[in-house]
Amino acid sequence: MLENTTFAKSVDLLQRNMAVSTLRRQVISNNIANAETPNFKRSEVSFEAELGRALATEKLDKSIGVVTNVNHIPFNSTVDYRTIGPRIALDYLTTSKNNGNNVDIEREMMQATENQMMYELMTKAVSHEFRQINIVLR
Amino acid sequence: MGLFTTIHTAASGLTAERLRLDVISDNIANASTTRTAEGGAYRRSRVVFRPRVDQPYWRSPFLPESLQNKIGAGVRVVSIEKDMDSELVLKWDPTHPDAIKTGPKTGYVEMPNVNVVTEMVDMISASRAYEANVAIMDGSKSMFRKALEIGG
Repeated sequence: MLENTTFAKSVDLLQRNMAVSTLRRQVISNNIANAETPNFKRSEVSFEAELGRALATEKLDKSIGVVTNVNHIPFNSTVDYRTIGPRIALDYLTTSKNNGNNVDIEREMMQATENQMMYELMTKAVSHEFRQINIVLR
Repeated sequence: MGLFTTIHTAASGLTAERLRLDVISDNIANASTTRTAEGGAYRRSRVVFRPRVDQPYWRSPFLPESLQNKIGAGVRVVSIEKDMDSELVLKWDPTHPDAIKTGPKTGYVEMPNVNVVTEMVDMISASRAYEANVAIMDGSKSMFRKALEIGG
């Protein structure tokens, strides 16, 4: 009933973002737990930029990259945002303490708070979507 | 998987930092102990931390997914080691029962290699790290509560 509607897409995007937010929180909490471990290197999660790029391909002009032969290399093609997953990157190049550790506790706490606010915002947005459906059903 | 993993990770940090505080308080309590079961003056202890999941410190696009970085699971204490590197402090006190009786150091007492200033600095750093882990745990709880409010 709700497939291929903006509602389905919004909720799908929001739940994907919330899952990544949870994963990011795990990574940040691991960084903070290891804030005093010698030679520990912090990790980071990247997702939003790549998701944004995939969503931008949906708006591209398809008429420019029309392929008339199988040997043509297609461009301006759409990337399905559902194929984009989060990536965990190890920040192995920097060192900020004498024991080889590079966890900056202030930065991690700032990211944790930011991540938490984003998560709470997204829960609000999901609730809003469902409230709109409720208005229609009433 | 999920928010409970975050809480478990933060809990491992809490346990480790608490143990570190225990060791620091043991060091401070024994700051002038001159007689131990191993013989000689007390030597300060140090805790050794390691990540629960050992991560590789390099990355390659050619590695299969199973060898790439996983999400860490917090910290663990591998061992508590005696500090044999730093020298014991010599104190002039010939009437002390543990004073050295012969040799060039006659009249001196070997005091523990505990530096109270170092221990206090370590203590502050451990308690701040503990508080950071508590903050993460609190935040996770409120996130989880917000998720339960969806649709409500």
